Amino acid sequence: MMPIWTKSGKKHAVTLLKVQDCHVLKYISKEESGGKTSKLLVGGKNTSPFYKTESAMEIFKAAGVPRKQKVTTFNVTEDALIKPGTPLYAAHFRPGQYVDVTAKTIGKGFQGVMKRWGFKGQPASHGQTKTHRRPGAISTNKAAKVYRGKKMPGKMGNIYRTSFGLKVWRINTKHDIIYVNGSVPGHTNCLVKVKDSRLPTYKDCNKNPPFPTFFADGDEKLPEDLYDEEIFQFTDPSVTY
Amino acid sequence: MAAVCGRLLLRSGAAGAVGFAAVLPARTRAFKNVYLFTGCFSSSGYRVSSNGNAAKFQPPPKPIIVDKQKQKEEKRFLSPEFIPPRGRKDPLKFYIERKDMIRRRKVFNIPEFYVGSILAVTTADPYASNKASRFVGICIQRGGRGLGATFVLRNVIEDQGVEICYELYSPRIQAIEVLKLEKRLDDNLMYLRDALPEYSTFDVNMKPVTHLDHEEIPVNKLQVRMKPKPWSKRWERPKYNIKGIKFELPEEKMKEAQKWSQPWLEFDMLREYDTSKIEEKIWREVNEELKK
Repeated sequence: MMPIWTKSGKKHAVTLLKVQDCHVLKYISKEESGGKTSKLLVGGKNTSPFYKTESAMEIFKAAGVPRKQKVTTFNVTEDALIKPGTPLYAAHFRPGQYVDVTAKTIGKGFQGVMKRWGFKGQPASHGQTKTHRRPGAISTNKAAKVYRGKKMPGKMGNIYRTSFGLKVWRINTKHDIIYVNGSVPGHTNCLVKVKDSRLPTYKDCNKNPPFPTFFADGDEKLPEDLYDEEIFQFTDPSVTY
Repeated sequence: MAAVCGRLLLRSGAAGAVGFAAVLPARTRAFKNVYLFTGCFSSSGYRVSSNGNAAKFQPPPKPIIVDKQKQKEEKRFLSPEFIPPRGRKDPLKFYIERKDMIRRRKVFNIPEFYVGSILAVTTADPYASNKASRFVGICIQRGGRGLGATFVLRNVIEDQGVEICYELYSPRIQAIEVLKLEKRLDDNLMYLRDALPEYSTFDVNMKPVTHLDHEEIPVNKLQVRMKPKPWSKRWERPKYNIKGIKFELPEEKMKEAQKWSQPWLEFDMLREYDTSKIEEKIWREVNEELKK
Protein backbone atom coordinates (compact mmCIF):
# COMPACT_ATOMS: atom_id res chain seq x y z
CA MET A 1 0.00 0.00 0.00
CA MET A 2 1.23 3.46 -0.84
CA PRO A 3 0.14 7.07 -0.28
CA ILE A 4 -1.13 9.13 -3.20
CA TRP A 5 -1.80 12.88 -3.21
CA THR A 6 -4.43 14.79 -5.19
CA LYS A 7 -3.90 18.23 -6.75
CA SER A 8 -5.70 19.83 -3.77
CA GLY A 9 -3.14 18.31 -1.37
CA LYS A 10 -5.33 15.53 0.10
CA LYS A 11 -3.73 12.18 0.81
CA HIS A 12 -5.29 8.83 -0.08
CA ALA A 13 -3.99 5.33 0.57
CA VAL A 14 -3.70 3.10 -2.45
CA THR A 15 -3.21 -0.66 -2.96
CA LEU A 16 -1.01 -1.92 -5.80
CA LEU A 17 -2.36 -4.90 -7.76
CA LYS A 18 -0.12 -6.62 -10.31
CA VAL A 19 -1.68 -8.32 -13.33
CA GLN A 20 0.52 -11.39 -13.66
CA ASP A 21 0.20 -13.66 -16.75
CA CYS A 22 -3.59 -13.46 -17.14
CA HIS A 23 -5.03 -15.41 -20.06
CA VAL A 24 -8.54 -16.17 -21.23
CA LEU A 25 -8.94 -19.94 -20.97
CA LYS A 26 -12.37 -20.93 -22.19
CA TYR A 27 -15.67 -19.65 -23.48
CA ILE A 28 -18.84 -21.15 -22.00
CA SER A 29 -22.02 -20.21 -23.87
CA LYS A 30 -25.28 -19.19 -22.19
CA GLU A 31 -27.02 -22.50 -22.90
CA GLU A 32 -24.05 -24.57 -21.73
CA SER A 33 -23.69 -22.79 -18.38
CA GLY A 34 -27.46 -22.42 -17.81
CA GLY A 35 -27.11 -18.84 -16.54
CA LYS A 36 -28.35 -15.54 -17.89
CA THR A 37 -25.15 -14.58 -19.71
CA SER A 38 -22.27 -16.41 -21.29
CA LYS A 39 -19.12 -16.90 -19.26
CA LEU A 40 -15.42 -16.56 -19.85
CA LEU A 41 -12.91 -18.55 -17.81
CA VAL A 42 -9.82 -16.53 -16.99
CA GLY A 43 -6.66 -17.82 -15.35
CA GLY A 44 -3.92 -15.90 -13.53
CA LYS A 45 -0.31 -16.45 -12.39
CA ASN A 46 1.69 -19.27 -13.99
CA THR A 47 2.66 -22.27 -11.88
CA SER A 48 4.28 -25.66 -12.41
CA PRO A 49 2.41 -28.14 -14.62
CA PHE A 50 3.35 -31.07 -12.38
CA TYR A 51 1.39 -32.55 -9.46
CA LYS A 52 -1.90 -32.14 -11.29
CA THR A 53 -4.27 -34.61 -12.98
CA GLU A 54 -4.50 -34.81 -16.77
CA SER A 55 -8.17 -33.78 -16.78
CA ALA A 56 -7.37 -30.56 -14.93
CA MET A 57 -4.65 -29.74 -17.45
CA GLU A 58 -7.00 -30.18 -20.44
CA ILE A 59 -8.36 -26.63 -20.23
CA PHE A 60 -4.84 -25.18 -20.27
CA LYS A 61 -3.75 -27.42 -23.13
CA ALA A 62 -6.77 -26.42 -25.23
CA ALA A 63 -6.03 -22.74 -24.71
CA GLY A 64 -2.29 -23.24 -25.30
CA VAL A 65 -1.33 -21.59 -22.08
CA PRO A 66 0.86 -22.68 -19.10
CA ARG A 67 -0.93 -23.93 -16.00
CA LYS A 68 -2.45 -21.17 -13.90
CA GLN A 69 -2.73 -21.01 -10.16
CA LYS A 70 -6.24 -19.53 -10.09
CA VAL A 71 -9.14 -19.88 -12.53
CA THR A 72 -12.22 -17.62 -12.21
CA THR A 73 -15.38 -17.02 -14.25
CA PHE A 74 -16.62 -13.69 -15.49
CA ASN A 75 -20.16 -13.14 -16.73
CA VAL A 76 -19.81 -11.48 -20.12
CA THR A 77 -22.27 -10.14 -22.72
CA GLU A 78 -22.26 -11.62 -26.24
CA ASP A 79 -20.50 -8.64 -27.83
CA ALA A 80 -17.59 -8.73 -25.40
CA LEU A 81 -16.35 -12.25 -26.13
CA ILE A 82 -12.62 -12.82 -26.37
CA LYS A 83 -10.84 -15.71 -28.05
CA PRO A 84 -9.36 -18.21 -25.56
CA GLY A 85 -5.61 -17.78 -25.29
CA THR A 86 -5.51 -13.98 -25.46
CA PRO A 87 -3.47 -12.37 -22.69
CA LEU A 88 -5.14 -9.75 -20.50
CA TYR A 89 -3.23 -6.69 -19.31
CA ALA A 90 -3.61 -3.99 -16.67
CA ALA A 91 -4.49 -1.51 -19.43
CA HIS A 92 -7.88 -3.25 -19.62
CA PHE A 93 -8.80 -0.79 -16.82
CA ARG A 94 -8.47 2.97 -17.07
CA PRO A 95 -7.86 5.59 -14.35
CA GLY A 96 -11.08 7.16 -13.08
CA GLN A 97 -12.92 3.84 -13.34
CA TYR A 98 -14.46 2.08 -10.35
CA VAL A 99 -13.82 -1.61 -9.62
CA ASP A 100 -14.85 -4.35 -7.21
CA VAL A 101 -12.05 -6.49 -5.81
CA THR A 102 -12.69 -10.01 -4.52
CA ALA A 103 -10.20 -12.16 -2.63
CA LYS A 104 -9.94 -14.71 0.16
CA THR A 105 -9.56 -12.92 3.50
CA ILE A 106 -6.66 -13.64 5.84
CA GLY A 107 -7.37 -16.86 7.73
CA LYS A 108 -7.47 -16.41 11.49
CA GLY A 109 -8.22 -20.01 12.41
CA PHE A 110 -10.65 -21.02 15.13
CA GLN A 111 -11.66 -17.82 16.89
CA GLY A 112 -13.87 -16.95 19.79
CA VAL A 113 -17.05 -14.97 19.66
CA MET A 114 -15.48 -11.62 20.65
CA LYS A 115 -13.02 -11.53 17.77
CA ARG A 116 -15.24 -13.27 15.22
CA TRP A 117 -18.52 -11.42 15.79
CA GLY A 118 -17.51 -8.45 17.95
CA PHE A 119 -19.42 -9.46 21.07
CA LYS A 120 -18.71 -7.43 24.21
CA GLY A 121 -17.90 -10.31 26.55
CA GLN A 122 -18.12 -9.90 30.32
CA PRO A 123 -16.30 -7.66 32.84
CA ALA A 124 -12.81 -8.65 34.00
CA SER A 125 -13.60 -8.46 37.71
CA HIS A 126 -16.52 -7.87 40.14
CA GLY A 127 -17.22 -11.52 40.82
CA GLN A 128 -17.17 -12.98 37.28
CA THR A 129 -16.40 -16.72 37.67
CA LYS A 130 -14.53 -18.08 34.65
CA THR A 131 -16.61 -15.92 32.26
CA HIS A 132 -14.80 -13.11 30.45
CA ARG A 133 -14.99 -13.82 26.70
CA ARG A 134 -18.02 -16.09 26.45
CA PRO A 135 -21.17 -15.43 24.36
CA GLY A 136 -23.56 -15.48 27.30
CA ALA A 137 -27.16 -16.37 26.39
CA ILE A 138 -27.73 -18.02 22.98
CA SER A 139 -31.55 -17.92 22.72
CA THR A 140 -34.72 -16.99 24.59
CA ASN A 141 -36.94 -19.14 26.78
CA LYS A 142 -39.98 -19.00 24.46
CA ALA A 143 -38.07 -20.06 21.34
CA ALA A 144 -37.04 -23.32 23.04
CA LYS A 145 -34.42 -23.84 20.35
CA VAL A 146 -31.31 -22.19 18.96
CA TYR A 147 -31.93 -20.50 15.60
CA ARG A 148 -29.94 -21.52 12.55
CA GLY A 149 -27.05 -19.16 11.89
CA LYS A 150 -26.56 -18.23 15.56
CA LYS A 151 -23.27 -16.38 15.91
CA MET A 152 -20.92 -18.74 17.72
CA PRO A 153 -17.16 -19.42 17.81
CA GLY A 154 -15.70 -21.09 14.72
CA LYS A 155 -13.20 -20.82 11.85
CA MET A 156 -12.74 -17.17 10.90
CA GLY A 157 -11.33 -15.81 7.67
CA ASN A 158 -10.13 -17.62 4.54
CA ILE A 159 -13.44 -16.91 2.75
CA TYR A 160 -14.14 -14.85 -0.34
CA ARG A 161 -15.10 -11.24 0.34
CA THR A 162 -15.46 -8.23 -1.97
CA SER A 163 -14.61 -4.56 -1.57
CA PHE A 164 -17.01 -2.58 -3.77
CA GLY A 165 -16.60 0.73 -5.55
CA LEU A 166 -12.82 1.22 -5.41
CA LYS A 167 -11.48 3.96 -7.63
CA VAL A 168 -8.62 3.23 -10.01
CA TRP A 169 -6.09 6.07 -9.60
CA ARG A 170 -3.22 5.02 -11.83
CA ILE A 171 -2.15 2.28 -14.24
CA ASN A 172 1.43 1.27 -14.97
CA THR A 173 1.43 -0.38 -18.40
CA LYS A 174 5.10 -1.42 -18.30
CA HIS A 175 4.81 -3.56 -15.16
CA ASP A 176 1.01 -4.13 -15.40
CA ILE A 177 0.11 -2.55 -12.06
CA ILE A 178 -3.28 -1.15 -11.07
CA TYR A 179 -3.39 1.43 -8.25
CA VAL A 180 -6.70 0.91 -6.48
CA ASN A 181 -8.08 3.23 -3.76
CA GLY A 182 -8.26 1.98 -0.19
CA SER A 183 -7.62 -1.51 1.10
CA VAL A 184 -8.38 -4.86 -0.46
CA PRO A 185 -9.21 -8.21 1.24
CA GLY A 186 -6.41 -10.77 1.45
CA HIS A 187 -2.80 -10.92 2.59
CA THR A 188 0.19 -9.47 0.68
CA ASN A 189 0.89 -11.29 -2.61
CA CYS A 190 -2.45 -13.10 -2.62
CA LEU A 191 -4.51 -13.68 -5.79
CA VAL A 192 -7.34 -11.25 -6.37
CA LYS A 193 -10.24 -10.91 -8.83
CA VAL A 194 -10.87 -7.40 -10.22
CA LYS A 195 -14.17 -6.59 -11.95
CA ASP A 196 -15.94 -3.46 -13.16
CA SER A 197 -18.08 -2.14 -10.33
CA ARG A 198 -21.70 -3.29 -10.17
CA LEU A 199 -22.78 -0.46 -7.83
CA PRO A 200 -25.58 1.69 -9.36
CA THR A 201 -23.75 4.98 -8.55
CA TYR A 202 -20.82 4.01 -10.76
CA LYS A 203 -22.85 2.59 -13.65
CA ASP A 204 -21.87 5.43 -16.01
CA CYS A 205 -18.38 5.97 -14.71
CA ASN A 206 -16.54 3.93 -17.31
CA LYS A 207 -16.01 6.44 -20.09
CA ASN A 208 -14.81 4.57 -23.19
CA PRO A 209 -13.00 1.64 -21.64
CA PRO A 210 -11.01 -0.60 -24.02
CA PHE A 211 -13.68 -2.93 -25.42
CA PRO A 212 -13.62 -5.97 -25.32
CA THR A 213 -10.13 -5.65 -23.82
CA PHE A 214 -6.75 -4.00 -24.37
CA PHE A 215 -4.77 -5.87 -27.01
CA ALA A 216 -1.01 -5.44 -26.67
CA ASP A 217 -0.29 -6.11 -30.34
CA GLY A 218 -2.92 -3.59 -31.43
CA ASP A 219 -2.37 -0.11 -32.81
CA GLU A 220 -2.61 2.10 -29.74
CA LYS A 221 0.67 2.68 -27.90
CA LEU A 222 -0.04 3.74 -24.34
CA PRO A 223 2.45 5.75 -22.24
CA GLU A 224 4.16 3.94 -19.39
CA ASP A 225 1.97 5.57 -16.69
CA LEU A 226 -1.69 6.50 -16.98
CA TYR A 227 -2.86 8.93 -14.31
CA ASP A 228 -6.26 10.09 -13.15
CA GLU A 229 -6.91 13.84 -13.70
CA GLU A 230 -6.92 14.64 -10.00
CA ILE A 231 -3.66 12.96 -9.09
CA PHE A 232 -0.68 15.11 -8.18
CA GLN A 233 2.15 13.96 -10.45
CA PHE A 234 5.61 14.18 -8.92
CA THR A 235 7.04 15.98 -11.93
CA ASP A 236 4.84 19.02 -11.12
CA PRO A 237 5.98 21.72 -8.67
CA SER A 238 4.58 21.80 -5.13
CA VAL A 239 0.92 22.54 -4.50
CA THR A 240 0.00 26.16 -3.68
CA TYR A 241 -3.32 27.71 -2.62
CA MET B 1 61.43 19.66 -1.97
CA ALA B 2 62.22 23.08 -3.37
CA ALA B 3 62.97 24.37 0.13
CA VAL B 4 65.42 21.52 0.72
CA CYS B 5 67.14 22.29 -2.57
CA GLY B 6 67.39 25.93 -1.64
CA ARG B 7 68.99 25.07 1.68
CA LEU B 8 71.49 22.80 0.01
CA LEU B 9 72.50 25.53 -2.39
CA LEU B 10 73.05 27.97 0.45
CA ARG B 11 75.05 25.56 2.54
CA SER B 12 77.20 23.93 -0.12
CA GLY B 13 77.53 26.92 -2.40
CA ALA B 14 77.82 24.55 -5.38
CA ALA B 15 75.99 25.84 -8.42
CA GLY B 16 73.61 23.50 -10.16
CA ALA B 17 73.33 20.97 -7.41
CA VAL B 18 70.28 18.88 -8.14
CA GLY B 19 68.75 15.84 -6.57
CA PHE B 20 68.04 14.45 -3.18
CA ALA B 21 70.54 14.65 -0.42
CA ALA B 22 70.42 13.21 3.03
CA VAL B 23 72.09 15.74 5.28
CA LEU B 24 73.96 14.07 8.11
CA PRO B 25 76.07 15.78 10.75
CA ALA B 26 79.74 14.87 10.60
CA ARG B 27 81.03 12.64 13.36
CA THR B 28 84.56 14.13 13.70
CA ARG B 29 85.18 16.72 16.39
CA ALA B 30 87.34 18.94 14.20
CA PHE B 31 84.74 19.40 11.52
CA LYS B 32 81.75 19.91 13.76
CA ASN B 33 79.73 22.12 11.51
CA VAL B 34 80.55 20.32 8.31
CA TYR B 35 77.71 18.33 6.85
CA LEU B 36 78.37 15.20 4.87
CA PHE B 37 76.24 14.73 1.80
CA THR B 38 75.17 11.18 1.11
CA GLY B 39 72.66 9.72 -1.26
CA CYS B 40 72.22 10.55 -4.90
CA PHE B 41 73.44 14.01 -5.58
CA SER B 42 74.74 15.35 -8.84
CA SER B 43 75.84 18.73 -10.08
CA SER B 44 75.68 19.87 -13.68
CA GLY B 45 79.32 19.19 -14.31
CA TYR B 46 79.57 15.69 -12.93
CA ARG B 47 76.81 13.30 -13.87
CA VAL B 48 78.10 9.89 -13.10
CA SER B 49 75.82 7.08 -11.99
CA SER B 50 76.89 4.07 -9.93
CA ASN B 51 77.78 1.84 -12.91
CA GLY B 52 80.00 4.48 -14.50
CA ASN B 53 77.88 5.27 -17.60
CA ALA B 54 76.54 8.79 -18.26
CA ALA B 55 73.19 8.91 -16.35
CA LYS B 56 70.06 10.35 -17.95
CA PHE B 57 68.50 13.39 -16.31
CA GLN B 58 65.80 12.26 -13.87
CA PRO B 59 63.23 14.98 -13.31
CA PRO B 60 61.95 15.34 -9.73
CA PRO B 61 58.69 13.48 -9.01
CA LYS B 62 55.52 15.51 -9.26
CA PRO B 63 53.89 16.52 -5.93
CA ILE B 64 50.75 14.57 -4.97
CA ILE B 65 47.72 16.89 -4.75
CA VAL B 66 44.96 15.57 -2.50
CA ASP B 67 41.64 16.44 -4.20
CA LYS B 68 39.06 17.30 -1.57
CA GLN B 69 36.26 16.92 -4.17
CA LYS B 70 37.09 13.25 -4.71
CA GLN B 71 37.21 12.72 -0.98
CA LYS B 72 33.71 14.16 -0.73
CA GLU B 73 32.35 11.55 -3.17
CA GLU B 74 33.43 8.78 -0.86
CA LYS B 75 31.07 10.12 1.82
CA ARG B 76 27.77 8.38 1.08
CA PHE B 77 24.48 9.41 2.54
CA LEU B 78 21.34 7.44 1.75
CA SER B 79 18.14 8.80 3.26
CA PRO B 80 16.73 6.10 5.58
CA GLU B 81 13.34 5.98 3.81
CA PHE B 82 14.96 4.35 0.75
CA ILE B 83 15.92 1.22 2.68
CA PRO B 84 13.08 -1.31 2.31
CA PRO B 85 11.88 -3.00 5.51
CA ARG B 86 12.29 -6.72 5.94
CA GLY B 87 9.18 -8.53 4.79
CA ARG B 88 7.47 -10.63 2.17
CA LYS B 89 6.53 -7.79 -0.15
CA ASP B 90 7.54 -7.94 -3.80
CA PRO B 91 10.75 -5.92 -4.39
CA LEU B 92 9.04 -4.55 -7.50
CA LYS B 93 6.79 -2.46 -5.25
CA PHE B 94 9.84 -0.84 -3.57
CA TYR B 95 11.44 -0.25 -6.97
CA ILE B 96 8.38 1.57 -8.27
CA GLU B 97 8.11 3.60 -5.06
CA ARG B 98 11.78 4.56 -5.38
CA LYS B 99 11.18 5.79 -8.94
CA ASP B 100 8.39 8.05 -7.65
CA MET B 101 10.58 9.31 -4.80
CA ILE B 102 13.40 10.14 -7.24
CA ARG B 103 10.94 11.96 -9.51
CA ARG B 104 9.90 14.13 -6.57
CA ARG B 105 13.51 14.72 -5.51
CA LYS B 106 14.43 15.99 -8.96
CA VAL B 107 11.81 18.73 -8.74
CA PHE B 108 12.07 19.49 -5.01
CA ASN B 109 15.28 19.44 -3.01
CA ILE B 110 15.13 17.27 0.13
CA PRO B 111 18.38 18.01 1.98
CA GLU B 112 20.40 15.60 4.04
CA PHE B 113 19.51 15.82 7.72
CA TYR B 114 19.58 13.66 10.82
CA VAL B 115 17.66 13.36 14.06
CA GLY B 116 18.90 16.30 16.12
CA SER B 117 19.30 18.76 13.25
CA ILE B 118 17.35 22.00 13.30
CA LEU B 119 15.11 22.45 10.26
CA ALA B 120 12.76 25.12 8.94
CA VAL B 121 9.82 23.85 6.86
CA THR B 122 7.43 26.03 4.79
CA THR B 123 4.13 24.37 3.87
CA ALA B 124 1.21 25.58 1.79
CA ASP B 125 -1.69 26.38 4.10
CA PRO B 126 -5.09 27.42 2.69
CA TYR B 127 -6.05 29.09 5.98
CA ALA B 128 -2.87 31.12 6.60
CA SER B 129 -2.63 34.77 5.57
CA ASN B 130 0.28 34.29 3.17
CA LYS B 131 -1.05 30.90 2.07
CA ALA B 132 2.21 29.51 3.51
CA SER B 133 3.31 28.72 7.06
CA ARG B 134 6.89 28.30 8.31
CA PHE B 135 7.87 26.17 11.28
CA VAL B 136 11.33 25.86 12.83
CA GLY B 137 12.20 22.96 15.11
CA ILE B 138 14.57 20.16 16.01
CA CYS B 139 13.98 16.84 14.29
CA ILE B 140 13.19 14.31 17.00
CA GLN B 141 12.16 11.32 14.91
CA ARG B 142 12.33 10.04 11.33
CA GLY B 143 9.76 7.36 10.64
CA GLY B 144 8.14 5.52 7.78
CA ARG B 145 9.61 4.01 4.60
CA GLY B 146 9.04 4.87 0.99
CA LEU B 147 6.70 7.68 -0.03
CA GLY B 148 5.07 7.82 3.39
CA ALA B 149 8.29 8.80 5.17
CA THR B 150 7.75 11.37 7.94
CA PHE B 151 9.80 13.49 10.31
CA VAL B 152 8.68 15.18 13.52
CA LEU B 153 9.87 18.71 14.38
CA ARG B 154 9.66 19.99 17.93
CA ASN B 155 9.86 23.53 19.28
CA VAL B 156 8.61 25.47 22.29
CA ILE B 157 6.67 28.57 21.23
CA GLU B 158 5.51 30.98 23.95
CA ASP B 159 5.97 28.32 26.65
CA GLN B 160 3.91 25.77 24.70
CA GLY B 161 5.65 22.71 23.32
CA VAL B 162 4.64 22.08 19.71
CA GLU B 163 5.42 19.01 17.63
CA ILE B 164 4.52 18.78 13.96
CA CYS B 165 4.82 15.60 11.90
CA TYR B 166 5.59 16.35 8.23
CA GLU B 167 5.56 13.93 5.30
CA LEU B 168 8.79 14.24 3.29
CA TYR B 169 7.11 13.66 -0.07
CA SER B 170 3.88 15.58 0.50
CA PRO B 171 3.25 18.09 -2.34
CA ARG B 172 2.13 20.74 0.19
CA ILE B 173 5.69 21.27 1.44
CA GLN B 174 7.21 24.26 -0.35
CA ALA B 175 10.73 24.24 1.16
CA ILE B 176 12.88 22.40 3.69
CA GLU B 177 16.01 24.21 4.91
CA VAL B 178 18.55 22.79 7.30
CA LEU B 179 19.47 25.56 9.73
CA LYS B 180 21.94 23.44 11.70
CA LEU B 181 23.15 20.05 10.54
CA GLU B 182 24.21 17.88 13.43
CA LYS B 183 23.65 14.48 14.99
CA ARG B 184 22.86 13.56 18.57
CA LEU B 185 23.74 10.58 20.72
CA ASP B 186 20.35 8.92 20.07
CA ASP B 187 18.23 8.06 17.04
CA ASN B 188 15.02 9.14 18.71
CA LEU B 189 14.72 12.30 20.80
CA MET B 190 11.18 11.73 22.12
CA TYR B 191 12.57 12.21 25.64
CA LEU B 192 12.76 15.94 24.97
CA ARG B 193 9.08 16.01 25.94
CA ASP B 194 10.11 15.20 29.53
CA ALA B 195 13.26 17.30 29.49
CA LEU B 196 13.45 20.90 30.70
CA PRO B 197 11.90 23.21 28.07
CA GLU B 198 15.17 25.05 27.45
CA TYR B 199 16.48 22.02 25.52
CA SER B 200 13.60 22.20 23.03
CA THR B 201 13.44 25.97 22.48
CA PHE B 202 14.96 27.23 19.25
CA ASP B 203 14.83 30.73 17.87
CA VAL B 204 12.29 30.97 15.05
CA ASN B 205 14.43 33.52 13.22
CA MET B 206 17.76 31.82 13.71
CA LYS B 207 20.33 32.14 10.93
CA PRO B 208 21.46 28.98 9.14
CA VAL B 209 24.81 27.68 10.42
CA THR B 210 27.13 26.99 7.48
CA HIS B 211 28.44 23.46 7.14
CA LEU B 212 31.36 22.70 4.86
CA ASP B 213 30.85 19.78 2.52
CA HIS B 214 33.95 17.79 3.29
CA GLU B 215 33.64 18.05 7.06
CA GLU B 216 32.13 15.23 9.05
CA ILE B 217 28.74 15.77 10.59
CA PRO B 218 29.28 17.00 14.17
CA VAL B 219 27.83 14.84 16.95
CA ASN B 220 26.38 16.92 19.76
CA LYS B 221 27.21 14.99 22.93
CA LEU B 222 24.76 17.02 24.97
CA GLN B 223 23.35 15.31 28.06
CA VAL B 224 19.90 16.66 28.72
CA ARG B 225 18.49 17.35 32.20
CA MET B 226 14.99 16.09 32.85
CA LYS B 227 11.94 17.41 34.64
CA PRO B 228 11.02 15.52 37.83
CA LYS B 229 9.33 12.16 37.35
CA PRO B 230 6.68 10.95 36.23
CA TRP B 231 7.78 10.96 32.61
CA SER B 232 5.71 9.92 29.58
CA LYS B 233 7.91 6.84 29.21
CA ARG B 234 10.38 5.24 31.61
CA TRP B 235 13.45 6.49 29.73
CA GLU B 236 15.91 4.98 32.23
CA ARG B 237 14.95 1.43 31.09
CA PRO B 238 17.48 -0.33 28.85
CA LYS B 239 14.96 -1.00 26.08
CA TYR B 240 15.14 2.66 24.99
CA ASN B 241 18.95 2.64 25.20
CA ILE B 242 19.19 6.40 25.66
CA LYS B 243 22.62 7.97 26.01
CA GLY B 244 21.63 11.62 25.84
CA ILE B 245 20.03 12.02 29.28
CA LYS B 246 21.88 13.00 32.44
CA PHE B 247 20.01 10.73 34.84
CA GLU B 248 19.91 12.30 38.30
CA LEU B 249 18.01 9.34 39.74
CA PRO B 250 19.28 7.44 42.82
CA GLU B 251 21.42 4.35 42.27
CA GLU B 252 18.69 1.92 43.40
CA LYS B 253 16.30 3.21 40.71
CA MET B 254 18.93 2.77 38.00
CA LYS B 255 19.67 -0.75 39.23
CA GLU B 256 15.96 -1.57 39.31
CA ALA B 257 15.61 -0.34 35.74
CA GLN B 258 18.30 -2.83 34.65
CA LYS B 259 15.93 -5.64 35.71
CA TRP B 260 14.09 -5.11 32.40
CA SER B 261 17.24 -5.53 30.34
CA GLN B 262 17.18 -8.28 27.70
CA PRO B 263 20.89 -9.06 27.11
CA TRP B 264 20.08 -12.02 24.83
CA LEU B 265 18.58 -9.72 22.17
CA GLU B 266 21.96 -8.69 20.76
CA PHE B 267 22.83 -12.35 20.08
CA ASP B 268 19.48 -13.13 18.42
CA MET B 269 20.41 -13.98 14.83
CA LEU B 270 16.86 -13.91 13.52
CA ARG B 271 16.58 -10.24 14.41
CA GLU B 272 19.68 -9.28 12.43
CA TYR B 273 18.96 -7.20 9.34
CA ASP B 274 22.19 -6.31 7.63
CA THR B 275 21.37 -3.48 5.26
CA SER B 276 24.91 -2.63 4.08
CA LYS B 277 24.70 -4.46 0.71
CA ILE B 278 21.12 -3.32 0.05
CA GLU B 279 22.13 0.25 0.90
CA GLU B 280 25.06 0.19 -1.52
CA LYS B 281 22.91 -1.09 -4.37
CA ILE B 282 20.15 1.39 -3.74
CA TRP B 283 22.62 4.27 -3.28
CA ARG B 284 24.18 3.56 -6.67
CA GLU B 285 20.77 3.25 -8.31
CA VAL B 286 19.45 6.45 -6.74
CA ASN B 287 22.59 8.44 -7.57
CA GLU B 288 22.52 7.35 -11.21
CA GLU B 289 18.89 8.34 -11.59
CA LEU B 290 19.37 11.69 -9.84
CA LYS B 291 22.30 12.62 -12.07
CA LYS B 292 20.19 12.17 -15.23
